Amino acid sequence: MTKPKVVFDPFSEEFFDDPAAVFRRLREEAPLYYDDEGDYYVLTRHDDVAAAFKDHESFSSARGCDLAMVRSEEGVPQKSIIFMDPPDHRHMRSLLNKAFTPRAVQAQRESIVEVIEKYLGAIKSDEFDLVQDFSGPFPVEVIARMAGVPEEYRQQIRHWIDTSLYREPGHVEQSEEAMQANIDSGIYYYNLVQERRVAPQDDMISRLIAAEIPGEEGQMRRLDDIEITGFAVLLGGAGAETVTKLLGTAAVIFGHHPEQWQMLQDDRDKIPAAVEELLRYEGPVQYNVRYTIKEANLPSGIIPPNKPVFVCGAAGNRDPEAFTDADTFDIDRDRTEAQNLGLGYGIHSCLGAALARMESTIALEYLLDFMPRYEIDWDGLKRVHMQNVAGYSNVPVKVLR
Amino acid sequence: MSKVDVDFGLCESNGVCMGIIPEVFDLDDQDYLHILQDEVTPENEHQIKEAVRQCPRQAIFIRDE
Repeated sequence: MTKPKVVFDPFSEEFFDDPAAVFRRLREEAPLYYDDEGDYYVLTRHDDVAAAFKDHESFSSARGCDLAMVRSEEGVPQKSIIFMDPPDHRHMRSLLNKAFTPRAVQAQRESIVEVIEKYLGAIKSDEFDLVQDFSGPFPVEVIARMAGVPEEYRQQIRHWIDTSLYREPGHVEQSEEAMQANIDSGIYYYNLVQERRVAPQDDMISRLIAAEIPGEEGQMRRLDDIEITGFAVLLGGAGAETVTKLLGTAAVIFGHHPEQWQMLQDDRDKIPAAVEELLRYEGPVQYNVRYTIKEANLPSGIIPPNKPVFVCGAAGNRDPEAFTDADTFDIDRDRTEAQNLGLGYGIHSCLGAALARMESTIALEYLLDFMPRYEIDWDGLKRVHMQNVAGYSNVPVKVLR
Repeated sequence: MSKVDVDFGLCESNGVCMGIIPEVFDLDDQDYLHILQDEVTPENEHQIKEAVRQCPRQAIFIRDE
């Protein structure tokens, strides 16, 4: 019997439930997958994915980075750094990248520890939901504080992000609710920008207000309210959602591999390597959509111009050609075998990578003390259905005493 | 002869290169990257190429002269 032809539908139940299985088939059967119906390409082999991330001259971000946006004739909804090519991208990125270097984010260590202690301290039972009670609420506090959002609004930011990224299975477009969440968070940040214009503080929004970038004719110019609002919305989303997912997934994976949780327990120095392996094995970001602005040459072949392309970093990270036993979770693996694509690669690689690593490392340290041995309530696991990020909305755990 | 070079517009001081070969790449206290010696030699070639590959920003390259 021949298997049915592999189909990639990024908004199907099948994909939401087990992206790795879909990616495995694509890598093996259709490395240069083309979807007739949707008129898009999908890259899943490590070689192709890394090459596409590197080749920003062929694979443009300027039309957006999800399918609906790339297809839209109206252009991107807002000017955002993730929807830019050089040189605009370089100008915007240079405004904030110094705040996110490994050394610079060390300044956030205390506030990370503080919020972690606050949320773990509030858990009074041996049975709790690791995402709802911990990994959901904590990262948004850190990034929202850096951005300049007052404490009482930080959790609201997270609810807006959750709603705006949610996708009904079978739907490419945002629901009305998701669009409303975008609008509400946009209005909130817009008003915050107005407040900071009047009274600047030591935060990123104030820094963006004061910053200058080269304008169209080379003269320096300030950012407008819409640009700053867009940046702030993005920071909140990128800086909260991702670590939330990574830690929820971590609990599930270590639930499958209690012996590796014990290895971490015995040797805490392995935690950074464990974070890298989590990012490789099941990092939250599944793919980024690009749009070819010229013919693109890849190891697996040629993609014509003017096509949406799903560049699936998560699939490349499980490519057996790149990593030995790629489908095995192993915190001791040789990390130099291939580039880990979990935080992207090239000009759009994760701006907050060092912050994400530090938050995850500290969180794992605390969780090792908080739940030295635990089990997962497997029936209670619930996956999210979202545009481009995978992970769990509910991870019920029971601490074993 | 080949020389190693960095695009400082791309570099974001992640320090991966310094972790691989500190004799060639150094981050100072201000987080600026310095190339301590730019010649690619048979001894350092393998590690420099590793740094090129692992740079998350793809900011390092080797120039042939």
